[in-house]
Amino acid sequence: MDCCEFREKYSDFADGLLTHAAACQARQHLALCASCRRFDAALRAGLSALRQLPPISVSRSFSERLKRRLRWELTVRIPVIDRWYGAVGALLLVVTVGFIAFDLADGHGFGGARLAAPTSSSSTRSAGMPMRTVALRPLVDTSILPLDAPHPFQPIMILADTATEPFPAHVRMDVPAVWGGR
Amino acid sequence: MTLALHDSLRAQHGPRAALAELDDAHVVQAFLDGESRAFDELVSRYQARLLNFVYRTIGDRERAEDLVQEVFIRIYRHLHRFDQTKKFSTWAYTIASNLAKNELRNRSRNPLVLFQTIKKHWEADHRPLQFEDSRSRPDDLYHRRHLRDLVEETVAQLPEHHREVFVLRELEGKTYEEIAEITGCNLGTVKSRLNRARNHFAAIIEPHLD
Repeated sequence: MDCCEFREKYSDFADGLLTHAAACQARQHLALCASCRRFDAALRAGLSALRQLPPISVSRSFSERLKRRLRWELTVRIPVIDRWYGAVGALLLVVTVGFIAFDLADGHGFGGARLAAPTSSSSTRSAGMPMRTVALRPLVDTSILPLDAPHPFQPIMILADTATEPFPAHVRMDVPAVWGGR
Repeated sequence: MTLALHDSLRAQHGPRAALAELDDAHVVQAFLDGESRAFDELVSRYQARLLNFVYRTIGDRERAEDLVQEVFIRIYRHLHRFDQTKKFSTWAYTIASNLAKNELRNRSRNPLVLFQTIKKHWEADHRPLQFEDSRSRPDDLYHRRHLRDLVEETVAQLPEHHREVFVLRELEGKTYEEIAEITGCNLGTVKSRLNRARNHFAAIIEPHLD
């Protein structure tokens, strides 16, 4: 074993982790090499001095400060969210997302987007009879409404030629999903 | 089981002494069973050990004390989630180690904190001589004090990752496996860092040996 190898394996040697054969080689090298003996002695002396350093102790106010913080922790802390609460929360989230996805896939979506860009009319599904859809939109610009204004979707304007005529049976009102209670 | 053991000890020795007789795992269980004094017992067992570990890692006593407070707050907050098949001490040291690493990271980003730390060390170097054992010879006293200062400085000079492993092994007496768990490294990395730290440490001490 040379010095380089000895230094590489020194930690394992010091901790008694080398195999018996390797430990014998290391001991042999140590007996023959003055430089490595000095290195070994330096480490041992240094560690001995390090372990004799007086340990620092906590200040007198440590316990009192900790107790104060723990009291605060007990009174102000947000209740711990149990793993079951987490699971229920996740389930509710999945149900909500599923509901929204189902609602959008159904072609209605939420009122705002649909109302903001009214379309004139379109044919819709019906048993054999063509149907017209009349789109609705807010009569006023909702962004300029004061906070205490009435519900913006109450006043509506019907954008269709049939607005002035009584609605025939084959005209269907295409209202936002939230209005339909779904 | 724990409650029964705790109750019998309590009947024999009183509440405080009963907790002192228990090992960490039983003290933790006693706390989880509603014995609030069990937490005080954990604090009294670990406050000095954690303080010394954090102090040796970050080199600032006051800040180390703040961080140890934070360690206990986190323990208190999350003790119900602690995996009781593992050692409590390892968990506590892991929290302390992570906080110390965060502190060093923040410090390296904040020049003001770095300056204050350097200034504090400078002031410590200019402290008045402290009289030690008057029966020792003056040159012995000088040599001992010099070596003590030297090893403190040497530990502080070690690179952060090496220093942490070195302190855990040489001062806290942790096993390689525990160090691996605390630092989040594998065993090979722990061994390699410890070997480098020891080599570095010995190389600095060697010229001052005589």
